[in-house]
Amino acid sequence: MIMPRGKELLLPVRPVFIWSSLIAALALAMVQNMVLWGNAAWLPDVMAVVLVFWAVHQPLRVGIGTGFVLGLLVDVHQGALLGQHALAYTALCFLAVGIHRRLLWFNMFGQMAQVLGLFVVAHLLALLLRLTAGDAPPGWSMLVAPLLETLLWPVVSVLLLLPQRQAPDPDATRPL
Amino acid sequence: MPLGTLDSAPPPFFRQGPSALSKLIFFGVLSLLLMVADSRFHMLQPLRAGLATALYPLQWTVLRPFVWLDGGARYFQSLQASQADAAAAQYQLGLQSQRAQQVEQLTLENARLRQLLELRARVNAPALAAQVLYDAADPFSHKVMIDKGALSAVQAGSPVLDEWGVLGQVTRVYPLVSEVTLLTNRQQVIPVLNTRSGVRALAFGNGTALELRFLGAHVDVQLGDVLTTSGIDGVYPPGLQVARVSLVDRQTDASFARIRCTPVAHLNGTLHVLVLRTPAVQLPQNILAPPIGPGQGKGARP
Repeated sequence: MIMPRGKELLLPVRPVFIWSSLIAALALAMVQNMVLWGNAAWLPDVMAVVLVFWAVHQPLRVGIGTGFVLGLLVDVHQGALLGQHALAYTALCFLAVGIHRRLLWFNMFGQMAQVLGLFVVAHLLALLLRLTAGDAPPGWSMLVAPLLETLLWPVVSVLLLLPQRQAPDPDATRPL
Repeated sequence: MPLGTLDSAPPPFFRQGPSALSKLIFFGVLSLLLMVADSRFHMLQPLRAGLATALYPLQWTVLRPFVWLDGGARYFQSLQASQADAAAAQYQLGLQSQRAQQVEQLTLENARLRQLLELRARVNAPALAAQVLYDAADPFSHKVMIDKGALSAVQAGSPVLDEWGVLGQVTRVYPLVSEVTLLTNRQQVIPVLNTRSGVRALAFGNGTALELRFLGAHVDVQLGDVLTTSGIDGVYPPGLQVARVSLVDRQTDASFARIRCTPVAHLNGTLHVLVLRTPAVQLPQNILAPPIGPGQGKGARP
């Protein structure tokens, strides 16, 4: 396999870890909403970031169907139009699967510049759907959400790759 | 190379399922259909309730540490603060008791007068106390979740009040929680009565406040007027405070006045609410029954 120079060989991912990280993202979104900030429009959608991460790194395991189902769950939790997040996440996963071969050749800033476009498209799609359905736009603070999601990208990338960066044969005398 | 570094199964080069584009089209169309069925035909409440019930354990678990933290903080709140709260509540109660006694007398008097005039008795709605759990996360709509649901016999459409006035209406009922749409929601309308001039109007939510639409430019509405529910819709009982007029703009070239009002209820910070039973369920039978045929009943005319 051709790999970018200087990139380490990762361990295979464990499916349990993928699913538990997605559920953790849902739980984090719930904490944001139910405990911390209510329904502020600038809140970053952690679920979208984690979903894009897995669609880029494991496109054979997490794809468009996963995005759709998780979108439905988010819709029900938020009390939004049923299918709004499902459509947004479907589009997000489609774009992420589309760029997954290219994205990892860039350094972190290059990656952030590219995923920013994805998040903007997802929010724009949600905004268009809700305006069509006759709801009021939530205000300019909504513009901050894709930026915050882009800032979360490096954090999520480091955290979710940690288990795959372990040594393949743990050894007490090895420095790593 | 250690064996553990390889995926156990070789990558399925030749069987990757349908293409990404076809999946996008399939799921995109499916979600559009879901949205239409949800917003136009309201057919998906069972699916929504099922998913919500599946999500409930996760929500409950996520909330637990914060509930404990809150409980712990309250436990260590100083005795003095609690006593001050209790004293303030006592004072409020003292102020209200005089009015409450007058109300008893007035209710009796009102009932007798209505009997004299042969007016229909007022409908008194039984109520259910509930607590606001959290704001619904959707930033496009103004909704809160309360901790009573279908198991406590909450019905969709019931009016919801807080200590100050009307808060909104129950729009979706799940088994354990329900969703209350606030008055400021774009799709929420409430019939109101101006208590000073007796003008009736409809108040529409506009995202941040309420608007009285379709009132002529010379209508008798002034700044600071109190609007209460008019009770002619059969949903909200009459006489509940709704809003206060905050802006009256009469333009000479427009045929309608632009009137904006601020809700009386604390839409953003309320904790305890009251869910009223829908009056339509308990209206006297003779309102809903078909008119009595000739020859029956007292009021029949030849």
